[in-house]
Amino acid sequence: MAEAWIRGDPVTLQAAIVEAARLLGTSRMPVVAGLGTDVAGARAAIALAERLRGTIDHMHSEALLRDLDVMREAGMMITTPNEARLRADLLLLIGPGLIEGWPDLPARLFAKPDGGDATRRIVWLCPGTAAKAANAHQKILIIGDDPADLAVVLAALRARCAGRPAGNTPLEAQELDALAAELAKAHFGVAVWSSAEHDGLTIEMLCGLVKDLNAATRFSGLPLAPPDNAAAVQQVSGWMTGFPLRTGFGRGYPEHDPWRFDAVRLVDSGEADCALWISAGRVVPPSWTRDVPLIALAPQPDGFPQPPEVAIAVGRPGIDHDAVEHLAATGTLAPVSARNPANTISVADAVGRIAAALPAALPC
Amino acid sequence: MLTRLAGGRVIDPANGRDAIADVYIRDGRIVEAPPGGSANETHDVTGKIVMAGAIDIHSHIAGNNETLGRLLLPEQRYPTDLSHPGHRPQPKGAWNTSETGRLYANMGFTTVVEPAVLPHNALQAHLELADIPIIDKAALIVLGNDDFLLTLLRQRESADAVRGYVAWTLATSRGLGIKVINAGGAAAFKDNVRSFSLDDEVPGYGISSRAIVKALQHAVHELGLPHPLHVHCNNLGLAGNVETALATIEAAEGLPLHLAHLQFYSYGKEGPRGFSSAAARLAEAVNAAKSVTIDVGQVMFGQTVTISCDVLRQFNARKQARPKKYVIFDGDSNGAGIVPYDYRSNDFHNAVQWAVGLELFLLTNDPWRVFFTTDHPNGAPFTTYPDILALLMDRELRAQWMATMPKEAMDVTTLPSIAREYTLPEIATMTRAAPAKLLGLKDRGHLKPGAVADIAVYAPDGDKAKMFREAALVFKNGALVVRDGAVVAQSFGRAFNVRPEPERAIARRMRDYYDQRYGLSPDFMSVPEAAIGRPDPFERVPCNT
Repeated sequence: MAEAWIRGDPVTLQAAIVEAARLLGTSRMPVVAGLGTDVAGARAAIALAERLRGTIDHMHSEALLRDLDVMREAGMMITTPNEARLRADLLLLIGPGLIEGWPDLPARLFAKPDGGDATRRIVWLCPGTAAKAANAHQKILIIGDDPADLAVVLAALRARCAGRPAGNTPLEAQELDALAAELAKAHFGVAVWSSAEHDGLTIEMLCGLVKDLNAATRFSGLPLAPPDNAAAVQQVSGWMTGFPLRTGFGRGYPEHDPWRFDAVRLVDSGEADCALWISAGRVVPPSWTRDVPLIALAPQPDGFPQPPEVAIAVGRPGIDHDAVEHLAATGTLAPVSARNPANTISVADAVGRIAAALPAALPC
Repeated sequence: MLTRLAGGRVIDPANGRDAIADVYIRDGRIVEAPPGGSANETHDVTGKIVMAGAIDIHSHIAGNNETLGRLLLPEQRYPTDLSHPGHRPQPKGAWNTSETGRLYANMGFTTVVEPAVLPHNALQAHLELADIPIIDKAALIVLGNDDFLLTLLRQRESADAVRGYVAWTLATSRGLGIKVINAGGAAAFKDNVRSFSLDDEVPGYGISSRAIVKALQHAVHELGLPHPLHVHCNNLGLAGNVETALATIEAAEGLPLHLAHLQFYSYGKEGPRGFSSAAARLAEAVNAAKSVTIDVGQVMFGQTVTISCDVLRQFNARKQARPKKYVIFDGDSNGAGIVPYDYRSNDFHNAVQWAVGLELFLLTNDPWRVFFTTDHPNGAPFTTYPDILALLMDRELRAQWMATMPKEAMDVTTLPSIAREYTLPEIATMTRAAPAKLLGLKDRGHLKPGAVADIAVYAPDGDKAKMFREAALVFKNGALVVRDGAVVAQSFGRAFNVRPEPERAIARRMRDYYDQRYGLSPDFMSVPEAAIGRPDPFERVPCNT
């Protein structure tokens, strides 16, 4: 099978590398985006973007930024999946998207590993489309239904936990008060949510509730990470640039701006004139609508609306080659051994070769 | 290739030298003056000061908690006013790995220890360390709030078992030493304990903080680790906590023990505000306890962020956050708290803290046992080091600073009465010779033939801070990396670690434990060399035999 393509035609890997370097090297404003890759790939891609004075963004930045905006505006109390598993006597599941976000969640969190299941209560608040999954587990108490109600339910719950009156919510007042009492009674409660499903104010209300509960007892939060290794890439960006994703290097030093350096906006507005799109775990095409010279690093060249200018088949991290990735089970960066080692080039190596093929002097 | 640094004042206290002399470098090492003395390259350093590269034993520069801080505070910068014409406008001081290496190197630092790496997060810490250019680094691994150790102690298992576990952890996490942070306090906080002292017991384990510290101190000593147990005491930051520090010093019982950022434990309850300096009392105890070493954790003024695995203390400090936001992270063992803070010179408490640090520096009498730190970034960012060195060397400068501060704050300290000024050989001892000795880095921190050619050259200046901020020349492994306070070549250093041989039995036991407790293989916490992504990323430091 071919390993590289130019406008859909198979070429040698070297020819694709040279063409990618030519496109990026002559671009005035490249975006390095998608960034579905392992830690090594992210380090290489961010270093390349810095050299090109381009910008970096991840395909799941929206979800990352929703949690991050709450954290950097108001702060947050968080814990690890292991502590939630070992210690939580109350698990407060928030809205849908949890099992999709972490398929092992029921196996990891629903039962207490020490067999003390009787001491773990599980409440699922407004599960919405997850109601079926929730109903499948008898021990889960479902409260509320529509996730759209979460903002008002959490606000009322927070008010009741603080001993203040609350307005009407879709819940019965008694149900609300019972839940507030349950939260206050927990010794170590853990709230679990997936930021992809909620707006920032809902997440902020939830995190505020968690903080309030700590005035008297222990409670913490467990935000689930978006897919495509987004949490790891955000960490890499954090240490390499000092900022999360949506950071640009146009002025020769890193600057972060969630609006300015949104890759979709940069392409659709015509500001960006070239894109390096990385989606190594699976093919996820970019969501911008404007045509821009595209260099794609993905497991296959298919799945894009039209053949990319340059496509390079890259190995899937942790499957085709060893990788460092964010593990949902531990919430840490961890080494993952290749399940089926293959010779396909890694993102880190492909990006490294593109960087080596760039001209010494770049346009800006 | 032979390089000669000609005619400088060589200050090398490890070898008892302070004299005008030449220093020769070949193949990355310092060598004897060759007969005939013909060098391929000569740097005329007449009138300049030549020291070994500086070593920082305690600076939070890498790991998931630092990056959590970066994400919490996108507005935070390294405060620098470096604006050399002709350089690209990088000196926005972005709080990232490349700036960390560059700014340390500019000051003549060539080795920095990240003192708080949690075993489960060791890989990220090493990845971050690997991305810090120029300098060498090392990680201290945090134990003392982990269920495995606490269970060993509860079950009264042998000292042998504790040693085996410590050795296994160091090998797995690739650490240079062991740190304990509010021993048992983070575990107790998960059980809703809100204050925790040396003789308090961890709920569910029935063992005291003191017992944890003692067990680790003995294990570290008996394994022959060069660096003694590195202790972050209980009750950080609280008025009256000098009693805790004194009790911890006493608990050393003649064996090596390092107490970190002691400034934060030097507080009495005297004075009209019930908060005073107890530094004089503590300095006296340190002077007397010859097996104890300390670092200061000096406070300087300005915006910073406190990043600490003392999650209990950080939780209790959350309402003092400036700006008003924080992250409290209950980790698998210690976790962390990230609380931004703006130390203000017109704030009574902050002014006392600033004075307390300087008192500790000036009232302790042995620069071989007192180390130069700000607990970066907790007391201040490391970029303030040059200003602190200037304050230590110049009582007039201290008087000028004190004149701007609340008098009632200075009144509860002894700083105004202290005349001592550090000499350059004392500075060289405290920042070079002593740290190399404390960490077991036998070929660093001095300039004897055979030493690694990590060298800093400073141009004396009326403004001592300027002299230390912008080294005239810095050599790393014999290569010129900094000229006139600017990086001229970028390389990557290595991470030091010790590797006491863990027995096979402990590896099997840990595998069983992780399977039983976490339902996971302990492989997730390993640090494979191939994952670091740079050639030859580690250097092994031998244990004492």
